[in-house]
Amino acid sequence: MLAPLQNGDTYLFPERIADLTGLSEYGTAGDLVAAFIAAFIVGNLMLAMTGVAGPWAKRKITAAFTDRIAVNRIGPFGLLIIVADAVRLLSKENIIPENADRPAYDLAPIVVAGSAMLGFAVIPMGSGVQLADPEVGLAYVFAVSGIASIGLVMAGYASANKYSLLGGLRAVAQNVAYEIPLVVTGMSVVIFAGSLQMSTIVEAQAEPLLTVAGVAIPSWYALINPFAFVLFIMANLAEVGRNPFDIPEAPTEIVAGYQTEYSSVYFVLIYLGEFLHIFLGGALIATIFLGGPAGPVLPGIVWFIIKIWAVFLLTQWFRSAVPRVRIDQLIEIGWKGMLVLAFANFVLTAIIVGLIA
Amino acid sequence: MSTELERAVTETVTEEELEALIGDRALARDDHKNAPGFVVRPDDVQDVLLDLREEAGFDHLSCVTAQQYEDRYESIYHLKKYADPTQEVSVVVPTSVDDPVSQTAEPVFRSADWAEREAFDLVGIDYEGHPDPRRILLPETWQGHPLSLDYDQEKPQIVTLTEHANPIQPDHRDEESDTMFLNIGPHHPATHGVLHVKTVLDGETVADVDPDIGYLHRSEEQMCQQGTYRHQIMPYPDRWDYVSAGILNEWAYARTAEDLADLEVPEYAQVIRTMSAELSRIASHMLALGTFALDVYGDFTAIFQYTFRDREIVQDILEDLTGQRLMFNYFRLGGVAWDLPEPREEFFAKVRDFLDDLPAKVAEYNDLVTSNEIFQIRCVDTGILEPEVAKQYGCTGPVARGSGIDYDLRRDDPYGYYPNLEWNVVTEDGCDNYSRVLVRMQEVEESAKIIEQCIDLLEEWPEDERNIQSNVPRTLKPDADTETYRAVEAAKGELGIYIRSDGTDKPGRFKIRSPSFHNLSALEEMTKGEYIPDLVASLGSLDIVLGEVDR
Repeated sequence: MLAPLQNGDTYLFPERIADLTGLSEYGTAGDLVAAFIAAFIVGNLMLAMTGVAGPWAKRKITAAFTDRIAVNRIGPFGLLIIVADAVRLLSKENIIPENADRPAYDLAPIVVAGSAMLGFAVIPMGSGVQLADPEVGLAYVFAVSGIASIGLVMAGYASANKYSLLGGLRAVAQNVAYEIPLVVTGMSVVIFAGSLQMSTIVEAQAEPLLTVAGVAIPSWYALINPFAFVLFIMANLAEVGRNPFDIPEAPTEIVAGYQTEYSSVYFVLIYLGEFLHIFLGGALIATIFLGGPAGPVLPGIVWFIIKIWAVFLLTQWFRSAVPRVRIDQLIEIGWKGMLVLAFANFVLTAIIVGLIA
Repeated sequence: MSTELERAVTETVTEEELEALIGDRALARDDHKNAPGFVVRPDDVQDVLLDLREEAGFDHLSCVTAQQYEDRYESIYHLKKYADPTQEVSVVVPTSVDDPVSQTAEPVFRSADWAEREAFDLVGIDYEGHPDPRRILLPETWQGHPLSLDYDQEKPQIVTLTEHANPIQPDHRDEESDTMFLNIGPHHPATHGVLHVKTVLDGETVADVDPDIGYLHRSEEQMCQQGTYRHQIMPYPDRWDYVSAGILNEWAYARTAEDLADLEVPEYAQVIRTMSAELSRIASHMLALGTFALDVYGDFTAIFQYTFRDREIVQDILEDLTGQRLMFNYFRLGGVAWDLPEPREEFFAKVRDFLDDLPAKVAEYNDLVTSNEIFQIRCVDTGILEPEVAKQYGCTGPVARGSGIDYDLRRDDPYGYYPNLEWNVVTEDGCDNYSRVLVRMQEVEESAKIIEQCIDLLEEWPEDERNIQSNVPRTLKPDADTETYRAVEAAKGELGIYIRSDGTDKPGRFKIRSPSFHNLSALEEMTKGEYIPDLVASLGSLDIVLGEVDR
């Protein structure tokens, strides 16, 4: 079933599971079960990271930036706050506004969280953890993460709240303005690698760029084209709606934007979706700019997670230190600045690659 | 501005000239302790005020006091000059008890808009021709006017939500309109308390704003009228601007009451007053910076925590001095409650440590906040408040100084120990949100200068001359019908108090002129046509405290 998406060269995670568990003997049905198990493991890994990030790491990081201590009473380093928060959030009453447009209101959180989860399907996480490796891998990630915008609009519109509506509208305006620079900058990497396939992009970065005192520096695209790297990080910040581009939520202006009316489980799902998007952004940055799971000594998956968390840390840093731009300024930066720079970078990369190769 | 008016603004106008200017329109004189008062007819109000503004240069309607006597209602317009606030004149407008109708002053001074609404709301005088004669502090369905004499103070009133205009009701759904009505507040992260801003939006643009205040109205004026001068009133001012500017507020009452009863304040007490007031100002400006950053940055970021860290040090010092962290209750009529804490050296060292660290911290704020490019594009040229408009609305304090109005009562209407110290009045000409932030930042440094000089003085002060209070009678009963209006430079601007004594030990009328109230009234002017984020930023840059707006 998964065969058309697979590249024969890579030994994918579902196959590995199938071989390890002996499920491969049962043919297609066995493959399917193995694929589900693999997806379950990867999905839970991501959810676990979100669980750590949301209730605990985010608080600790922000506290470190703002001279505070944050959670430290429950468990070592306050880690058990994760359990406490999970219980608290799940036991809250799920309040649904009277005029909410259902089922759009109920679907929105699932769309937001689900779209991000889908993206992880093609990310090579190292140590053989990659669910699928289609030839259109990068395009697929952009496509599914773009679905989140629909979820945001649904949430904003279906809540029957003016703040939500404003937030939803802002989210669309912002995502449209920043998705194009994001994709175009991503494409400049594709020009280097010559493929949309994630495994190929990662492999292409494994070759040494130059050797300094016996240490080979890999040809990560962040080093080859730092300009594209910075552009991509900026566009990604806007894509995931973090400072200075957190205007779809903009707590001091429109309360909480599209998520104003969501409570309990739905709120958790939306919040989860946000963190998953940050992690997906981090995974994407790690894959196409930072050599994917590559790194010395430690196993690939550990390096991969470190890289994702580095990007997460960066977003939290911005959140603590950078003011929010205004909506019109954001659109202006997007269309007049980022888009032009993204295309300039794209053309320049094409010329350089054309001349060298 | 004509040259004639320019002359009028800067030149001192003598009482004779005022008499000549008002001429026959003055029915009588009703002099107050602070200013000559002219009684005029209810239909001459606009005429007289316009002449006073255009011919004599009284361009600042500081306060409108309304009160009821047995035989009449009375509106008092307290006028000043921005160029020289020691020049004052009161225009007293009596109206009959049966038909309390008086001409509105709104066409001459925009600040009369809200002030007269309040007078109508609390006292019950109708202002003929007022463009917006609604209640302002109390709910629309409130029965009676609480400060009028025939009001039954004992009778409880329950104003239910169904009777009250429902804040979630108006929902502009007509086909023609392409605007959206949005209630910002009373519970909203950026309204700095319970403020309700009725906003009409055209997309992301603000088409109309109407601040709805009064959610925190606690009848402060009436409570003060029921307290004795000597002790019972002083705790209340702490509760107006309650975010650590308490001492500045206390000074407003102290100054007015001391003026009313002719009390002296020993020099030593004046120095302590000056020092503690400036500490209060630093604490207040730190909070203003932190919350403004919160509005612009959008989250509880490092800046908010840093400002609170520094404010905390000031609070500790003030706690050492007064025993309290917010509700200081430290001033007494004729001085202060007690001397500096022992051992004095420790206290001085603590204050000096704070002052020594302050420049580095201010530099840090400038690095972090004011020199941040994104902060600048958000704040420069947004929330424009032209100086002429600011004067019309009676804006004072950092808001006025951010619009280039060189007006600071500490220097222009000297009190305390300020005249003997070296410091500067800070102004910025940008008229925008950014200027207002800059003014506050620099005022922190100026306050630090003042505190340092006070500390120097206090350290040297001979032990046998440390007189913290003058002799004040146990029961204070100023002569009946003495009236005075006095203001001090509080953290938010000109905090004025009008007191009329009725011969007892409690004030006959106690009126508070709140700087936040008047500054907030200019919000509409600043934000119409701007974006929602600028509305929020402008509101933050006004640095209002709802406790002071609503009283």
